[in-house]
Order: sequence, then structure tokens, then C-alpha cells
Amino acid sequence: MNKNFDIAALVDDLEPVNPMQQKIPLVFLAAITFMATALVIWAQGMRADVLAGHPDEMFLIRAGVLLLLGSATGYAVTSMASPAVGRSQNGWQVALAAAAVFPLAAIVVASTGDVGPAISAMESGMRCMSYSLIAATATAVPMVVWLRKGAPSSPGRAGWLTGIASGGLGAFAYNLHCPFNNVVYIGLWYSLSILICAIIGRLVVPRLIRW
Amino acid sequence: MIAREETMRDLMRLAQAGDKQAYAVLLEQTGRWLARFFSQKIAADAVDDLVQETLISLHRKRASYDPSRPFLPWLAAIARYRWVDRLRQTYRHAADELQDQHSEDSHEDVVGAKISIDNLLHKLPPAQALAIRLVKIDGLSIAEACIKCGQSEPLVKVNIHRGLKKLATLIESE
Repeated sequence: MNKNFDIAALVDDLEPVNPMQQKIPLVFLAAITFMATALVIWAQGMRADVLAGHPDEMFLIRAGVLLLLGSATGYAVTSMASPAVGRSQNGWQVALAAAAVFPLAAIVVASTGDVGPAISAMESGMRCMSYSLIAATATAVPMVVWLRKGAPSSPGRAGWLTGIASGGLGAFAYNLHCPFNNVVYIGLWYSLSILICAIIGRLVVPRLIRW
Repeated sequence: MIAREETMRDLMRLAQAGDKQAYAVLLEQTGRWLARFFSQKIAADAVDDLVQETLISLHRKRASYDPSRPFLPWLAAIARYRWVDRLRQTYRHAADELQDQHSEDSHEDVVGAKISIDNLLHKLPPAQALAIRLVKIDGLSIAEACIKCGQSEPLVKVNIHRGLKKLATLIESE
């Protein structure tokens, strides 16, 4: 071993540490998602059917899938801060596969010529994306902070998953306002916002969490 | 003496609580474990540096160890991250002419076999694994590796590049 390397120096430097507890970032993630959702409702208002207590089935499915995607992926991201060979979190893959049903269904329906309001309501779609991206940025913060504190051994994947998780939760926040139930609209605009978040996550997050 | 999982886990728990005596023993045991872990996975003269880098990473990231889980898989994940990082660095700088030295000690205990770096190499396409092994582990130059494996120089470089990239993504997916 290198003569200049002194194990005693590391021992002298030892201070007690609290082992990282995954529930901490998850609580922050839930709290920020809740706040983002509240802000969207405050700024844009809540869907009329939800307010009336009779939510549309498509809304319920969409909200459930987005929440599942954000939660499962967020859990996988925060797990990555404490790496271990042989231990992997694959729940996010199932959630992502479930979410992929929306764009696939949108393609099938659009191929019949019925695009619904997906294109005509572009202004609303852009607003959907903008709010989702802002909310996603907020939800990404606790995940990135946690990853920086930990020892993620796969920064690239951590970047993708952070983007997907924050995109899913950000879209969930806006989904409480979004009045559209059309599958092509959902498949286009929601998928686009999550995809953009995933790409941004892949490009930005690895630089922030390398150690 | 080969450190056991239970012993190292207990030492790490004590170290997280600030027990310097336990930490000193842990670092010594871990250093030996890492030397075995890295042997034949990188040029022999680079093993010591890699062990030191990994020990420093262990020190800096010790809070990321979950004491309710086994210690060696956590250590192995950190060791493999540092290993891939080191391979990338040497490849990036392209100035390494590593000596062809092999350690005779190739012992792998049960845990070591499960989390071996060889397992990662076996998951690469044969041409990529061979290029990495010849240049990054056996220490051959690119030209020497070309002669030995029958690949062209650009192909060896591409195989190393793609292989290292894939290794990084394999680290947590095994």
C-alpha cells in the first residue's frame, strides 16, 4: 500500500454518523408533491368532476398511474443512495410499463383519425407541460439532495429515474386541474412532459451526484 | 485471515457509532478484502491505489451503509464503482502502460464469488470483455492487444469504450 496512505488518519477523522434512512427523502417527496398539487389547484382550480365528488374514470386511472409511477420510481431513486450488489429495485419498471399504456393507446386511437382535443387544445397542453415541469423540478430536489449525500453507483440510471419520478409526480400535481379525459391528449401531453423530465434528469443529475 | 460478513457488519455498525478501535480493525480487514477483490481485475501495481481510493470512499460515504443489511454487498458496490471509475480514467488519459503482473492469490470466498467483478465481465459481449481484460487488466498496449485478439486497433478501442459504458450500467442491475 502507498506509504503516504495512513489508515490512522481516517480513524482519527472518524465521527459518529447516523445511517441514512430512506423514509426521510420519501417524506419530503410526498410533502413537496402535496404542496405542488395544492399550488396548482390554488392557481388553476380543481377539476369540476372531482369537486362534485364524481370523478371521471379516466381521471382516476390517470391519477393512479401517475402516482404509482412517481412513487415506485422515487422509491427506487432513493434506494440508490445506499447501493448493494445483488439488490435492485424493479418495481418502477412495472409502473413504467403501466404508464406506457397511455401513449400506446393514444397511437392506436390516433391512427383511426380520432385525435380528440390533443392538437386543438395545444395551449392547454403546453400549460399542462409547463406546470408539470415546474412541479417536477420541485419534486426532484429531495431526490438529488439524497443521492448527493449517499453513494449512488449508477449515476446515469439515477438520472433517468429521477427524471421519470419527478415527471410522474409533477404531472400528477397538474392532473388534479387538467379537465381533459381524452386518451390521445393524455398520451401526447403527459407522456411528453415525463419524457422531457427523464431526458433532463439524464443530462443534469449525473453531474450533480458523482462522487 | 479472511474477514467474515457478520464480523465486518458488526465492526461497521460500531464505526458508524464512532468507535475508533472498531473502525481501525474494519479498515484493515476491508483493505485485505479489497486487495483480493481487485486482484486480477486490474494491473497489479494499481491495486494498492484502488484499495486506498475505495477505503477513502468508504470513509466519506459510511452513512450510506444500512446496518440492517449485509456489509459486503455494500462494500462491493462501492468497490466496483471505484473500479469502473479507475478504468475510465486510465482509458481517458490513454497514457497507461500497465505491467503484466499477476497475483497468484485468486481466492474468492462465497460472497466474493457472488459479487465478483468477473461476473460483470462475463455479462459483456466476448469481444468487449476480451479487449478490457487485455488492455485494462493485463496491461497490454492497444497494439499488443490487437495482435493477441485479432481485432483491429479502432475495434479494440471501440470495444473498450462500449464495454466500460456497459459495465457502469451493469453495476446495480446484477
